[in-house]
Amino acid sequence: MRRAALLFAMLLTGGLARAETSLDWTPEEVSAVSAHGPWPPSAVSDPSNRASGDAAAIALGRHLFDEPRLSGSRQMSCGGCHQSGREWRDGRARAVGLVELDRRTPSLWNVGYQHWFGWDGAADSLWMQSLRPILDPKEMASSARAVATLLREDKGLACGYERAFGEKPGDDDEKLLVDAAKALAAFQQTLITPRTSFDAFRDALVAGDRAGMRRYPASAQRGLKLFIGRGSCATCHFGPLFSNGEFGDTGVAFFVRPGEVDSGRHGGIARLKASPFNRLGRHSDDASGGSATRTRHVEAQHRNFGEFRVPGLRQVGRTGPYMHDGSLATLEDVVKHYSTVSPDRLHSDGTPLVRPLALSEPESADLVAFLRTLDAETPKLAPAPPLCP
Amino acid sequence: MRLRVALLLVLVCSPAGAADCPLDLGHGTGIVIYSDRYMLALRPDPMRIEVGQPFGLIMNVCTKGGEPADLVRVDATMHEHKHGMNYAPTVQGGGNGRYRVEGLLFHMPGSWEVAFDVRPLGQAGGEIQRLTHDFVLK
Repeated sequence: MRRAALLFAMLLTGGLARAETSLDWTPEEVSAVSAHGPWPPSAVSDPSNRASGDAAAIALGRHLFDEPRLSGSRQMSCGGCHQSGREWRDGRARAVGLVELDRRTPSLWNVGYQHWFGWDGAADSLWMQSLRPILDPKEMASSARAVATLLREDKGLACGYERAFGEKPGDDDEKLLVDAAKALAAFQQTLITPRTSFDAFRDALVAGDRAGMRRYPASAQRGLKLFIGRGSCATCHFGPLFSNGEFGDTGVAFFVRPGEVDSGRHGGIARLKASPFNRLGRHSDDASGGSATRTRHVEAQHRNFGEFRVPGLRQVGRTGPYMHDGSLATLEDVVKHYSTVSPDRLHSDGTPLVRPLALSEPESADLVAFLRTLDAETPKLAPAPPLCP
Repeated sequence: MRLRVALLLVLVCSPAGAADCPLDLGHGTGIVIYSDRYMLALRPDPMRIEVGQPFGLIMNVCTKGGEPADLVRVDATMHEHKHGMNYAPTVQGGGNGRYRVEGLLFHMPGSWEVAFDVRPLGQAGGEIQRLTHDFVLK
């Protein structure tokens, strides 16, 4: 009698109800889910950046990241927009430099694993991308001369540079600017999100661990099935990063203001090819050129107009607002967008990659529940190590 | 994500095998496709094609009579979505029918049709014939 009462009480209080059910998964679904792991991947390494993975360069990059003297006004730093306490973004719909910009500040989580950088992919390395806001007159508005002078004249930074690059800061301003960006990149490559409840489920599913699978909420499992199935979300949000690393047109309005459009990837490729800082230029440390394959072969096409980089989805529940222009405030808004997007706007003549999914309210809630399982509690950033202890 | 294409053993007992354009790619394996006029042997490099990762193709391009042929162009299309790659591959080599194609990248899982445009060796204005092969990435 007592055992029966205890069992009944457990049912009421959730003692047993906490054990979620595990849905049935076909071999094709297991394969599709498996492709989103394992996590974390192997450490980031960029052959074009000799500072990549170097502890002294990471320390220098960490200091430079919060260094306002990198800006022309000496009041703006990388960390001012990519805030460590705010998932490495600013939470605004549109970034603000010296003026309000047309795109939002993306989170830097897992940025080292990307192949293209910026919403338009105008940079082919993280160090090239790190140069852009420093030099952009609408953002930090600095110059090679100013950055090089800072590295030469600040004793701590000069010492940190020598430890990172094995030589004192020299006379070549552009080289020093690029090295500062390479140190910034080395630091940003360390920003890797921890494992999530999705990763535990994915590993259990692949291993056939039913008990492990049951720990993952049923709503998230249903949402995951939509993500890899009817929603076709995984076609672009593919792999462990939940991004195929390329670009797509998601049906967001082209116009940034009346009469002016954001050309997205189309303009990004033009800027990439015109830049002396791409992987084909003299500043790449990859003598083999093997890491420049994408740069060498990328080709602008008409359909690139209005395409933007497919963002990874790890920490997505904590990194709104969403889309390249911050036009959608919540995850629920994003799911609604893909549920109701106008096919007329997308101009696809094949089976459209983005089409109105017409999700029901419970389905939308399941998809959001799944996406939120891609969030992890992240450790607080440790204080910056001294440059020259 | 993974290429699940069975790699066929290249049989070098065909007429091509006896001439100057062997289909053996050096490891005894490869994918062989053919038309009424041409035979192509190809091997991805790296062997496993991953979504979003660049890869190349090591190729021998021959006539059915075993003579080398010109590989003019290689491209790939996802017919389901009616789009191609975001990258323009380049063809290197030639003369002896041996080529290396660089700069291919399949940026989505699904079926990709790779098209190979081939013509008789050294005939710049010669008739081009297209051979195709489907790769399915999951």
